[in-house]
Formats: sequence, C-alpha cells, structure tokens
Amino acid sequence: MTQWKDLKRTVSIRSWLFDFGTGCLDIFRGAGGIALLFQEACVLLSGKKIRWKATLDQMNKIGVQSLPLVFLTAFFTGMVLALQSAYQLRLFSAEQFTSDLISVSLCRELGPVLTSMVVAGRVGASIAAELGTMKVTEQIDALKALAMNPVQYLVVPRFIAALFMLFILTIYADVIGMFGGYLIAVFKLGMGSHVYIQRGFKALVIKDVVTGLVKAFFFGGIISIVGCYFGFTARGGAEGVGRATTLAVVVSLIMVIASDALFSAIFYFF
Amino acid sequence: MIEIKGIHKWFGALHVLRGVDLTIQDGETLVIIGRSGCGKSVLLKHIMAILEPDEGDILIDGQSIFAMAPEDQDLCRLQLGMLFQGAALFDSLTVRENVGFSLLEHTKLSEESVAQKVREKLRLVGLSGIEELMPASLSGGMKKRVGLARAICNEPKSILYDEPTTGLDPINADVINDLILRMQKQLKVLSVVVTHDMTSAYKVADRIAMLYQGKIIAIGTPEEIKHSKDPIVQQFITGSAHGPITDHLEKETEPL
Repeated sequence: MTQWKDLKRTVSIRSWLFDFGTGCLDIFRGAGGIALLFQEACVLLSGKKIRWKATLDQMNKIGVQSLPLVFLTAFFTGMVLALQSAYQLRLFSAEQFTSDLISVSLCRELGPVLTSMVVAGRVGASIAAELGTMKVTEQIDALKALAMNPVQYLVVPRFIAALFMLFILTIYADVIGMFGGYLIAVFKLGMGSHVYIQRGFKALVIKDVVTGLVKAFFFGGIISIVGCYFGFTARGGAEGVGRATTLAVVVSLIMVIASDALFSAIFYFF
Repeated sequence: MIEIKGIHKWFGALHVLRGVDLTIQDGETLVIIGRSGCGKSVLLKHIMAILEPDEGDILIDGQSIFAMAPEDQDLCRLQLGMLFQGAALFDSLTVRENVGFSLLEHTKLSEESVAQKVREKLRLVGLSGIEELMPASLSGGMKKRVGLARAICNEPKSILYDEPTTGLDPINADVINDLILRMQKQLKVLSVVVTHDMTSAYKVADRIAMLYQGKIIAIGTPEEIKHSKDPIVQQFITGSAHGPITDHLEKETEPL
C-alpha cells in the first residue's frame, strides 16, 4: 500500500514536471517565433518591394472598419472619466481640474491602450483566423510553391497597416474621449465650455501626446505580428484555428499591457 | 530529372520518412501509392522545398534544392507546378488572379496578356468563362481543375499532383486522369502523382512506387506492380482488409 502511494506520488510529480517543462518550452518557442517573424518582417520591409494595394486594403480593414468601435469605446470612456474624476475632485473642491485630468490621462495612457485592446480583440483575432485558415487549407504552402514568400505577401501589408492605423485611431480616440468628457463636464457638471477646452489644452504638453502616439505605433506592431504568428502556427483544422485565434488575442493583450508598463517606466524616467 | 536521396523526416517523435530514394526521369509519370498518412504528401512537399528534410537531399536537374539561395530556390519552384490535395486556391482572389498568380507576381507581362494566358490554361482544363468567379462558388472538381490550371500556367518542366482524384466522383476523377495524361502528352512534363486510387494509378503511370513505413518497398511498371509477389503490395492494390499491413497495425495497437 505504501509502495503504491509512493509510486503515485512519483508519477504525479513527474507528470507535473513534464507539464511544467512543456509549458515553458511552448512559451520560449512562441517568444522566439514572434521575435523571428518580427525580424523577418522588418528585413522585408526595408528590402523588397511593398505591395501597396494590399497594404491599403489592410488599412481599410484594420483602421477604417475599427473606427466605430474605437469611437464608442473612447466616447464612453471620456464620459465615465469625467464623472468619476469629478466625484473625487469634488472632495477637494477641485472640479475645475476634471478637464486637465481627462486630457492628460487620455493622451498618455487610455487613448493608446484602449484603442489597442479594441483592435487586438477585433483585428488580432481576424488576422489569426484568416491566416490560420489559410495554413490548414494549405494556401500558405501554395504561396511557397508559387515562389512567393508568405511573410512578404501576408505579414508585411498587415504590419505596415497596423503600425499606421493604430497611430491614427489613437488620435481619433484622444479627441473623441475628450469630447465625451466635454459633454459630461459642460452639460452635467456645469463647467464652462470655454474653460473645459482651455484647461484641457493647457494641461497637455507635447510629450504627453507624443508618448501616447509612440506607444500606439508599437502596439500596432505587436498586435499584427502576434496575430500573424499564431495564424502561421495553427494546425489541426477548425479547432486549431479557434485555438490560434484565442491565443492571438490573449497574447497580444498581455503583450500590449506589459509593454505599456515598460514604456510608461521609460517615459517617466527619461 | 528529380533525384531523391535518402530522405528522412521526423515530426517530433514520429519518423515519417525513413530513407526514401527515388529517381524520376524527364517526361516520365511516376505514381507514388501508399496508405493515408504514410508520408506521400510530405515527400511531395520536400520536392517543392516547402518542408526541409532532417537527412538526405533532393536534386533537381543535378542541383540540390536545399543548398540553393532563397532566390534560386524560388526560380527552381517556378519550374515546378503543384496541384494540392484540396486545390489550395486563394479564397480572397478570383479564379483569374489565382491561375495567373505566378505570372502577375513574377513577370512583367501586362494584365491583358496574363488574362489571355489564364483563358488559354482554363480552356486546356475544360473550364471557360469562370475567370471572375471566386473559389467559394466552385465545385470540388472545378476547384481541382482550376488548381491544375494554376500549376501549369507558368509552363513548368515538372508537375506534382497531391491526391488529384481524392474526394471526386468517378466521372470527375476520370476527367482529372485524362487531364494528367493530356498534360503529359501536350507539355511533355515530368509528373509525380501521389494517390491511393489504384484506377487512377494504373491509368496515368509509367512507373508505380509504393511507400510503406517511410520507405519505398516496391517500384515498377503498372504490370510489374499488378503481378508483384510482395504480400504488402498485393494487399494494398487489391484493397483487402486482411493481410500484413493490417496485421502489423493490430499488433501495434494491442493492449500492453
């Protein structure tokens, strides 16, 4: 009996170690794969001809078609931010700082991060699903057979489009968020329209806007490369494509938040 | 000429190809037969350099495809055409863009010249007037024929067919067999056909090779294969449920 218990314990520790080791290997393989795909995309970006027609098509899919979702998210976030900050600032009789708080927090942090989250959910998933389906139906192999580099054909247009569209969507998100805050501040909190606009712009310095936009640019790169990587590594039919799509969204969200923390630290200290 | 020399391929712990040696002469049609999942398609993907072997080499006209620079490898691929099992047409492109893909991407031909070539190749595979359709609106047989038109659009020296008749009704399957024969006669190409459809194999082959457990266990003309004394070959070509292949599988799956 004791022997059996010892054996069971040994087996379970061994299987736990096996699962742990496999998990670690998967993480390192994924990180390495994403880094290599990023490197190849950058090399192709600087070297060979870029397919501008496909890039414009992707800009439409990633940027223009995400605009309604970004609009709604930023608009309501601006409104909530105005209400919540006014609720706290009232305690110090400092409601006039509501506008300052909204403009700075949106431009530095919420604009790029919320836009990236919306785009990661919508576009990251769609990129992984599209490329994953192409992988499992041998279309990626067919590209290679037709002497076309799949990274050049599929990844580079999405990469360029995501870089620039996240940048532009973030500008929209900043402006729309401030407009949402304006509606609450002026029509609900009784703040003067002129005061809201003047204080909002006065509080902002160029660094606030630039740091937010630099972050958005990098987040665009992360979302597109992660989506493409999981699409390229999908296997096993519909189930594999579903798994790749979920992983693409989860990993890009984690990477966006982690790199946001890193960027915030860098911009804070330098 | 294509020379396959001692190809080994592992997928994790699975040893799929265990030293495949084959030589295919110009103008010849070699059919590779074998059970599903025995590595036939993997072997074709090695010839196209879509997959790289863990051991061994493949020479195309005397040059190793894996030792070439990526640009030379692409030039070599343009000399080979491949028909994929599920046709692998690009969903987002029309039939015209699919068939003319390599011409549009790798040549400076005008759109009109490409469209003319596409019409010509589609006529050759018995399809006309479908240039502007999307692949989703085509039947299985039509997809295979469009896939074939795409494979031959660049006028390659060799064509690789991955299970060209699988999933087709007998009439459509025979249409595809006729097309393979016609390609061979009209374009004088080297063809490698991977299939487990024996009717198709006997009809199109100059030689048949059988892949079993990652190795070529028999090779010869259709007549030689038909009269082979090897019990494994006999079980496969007669499609019998009982024999050395299934006995071996039963032994492998017996409870420990």
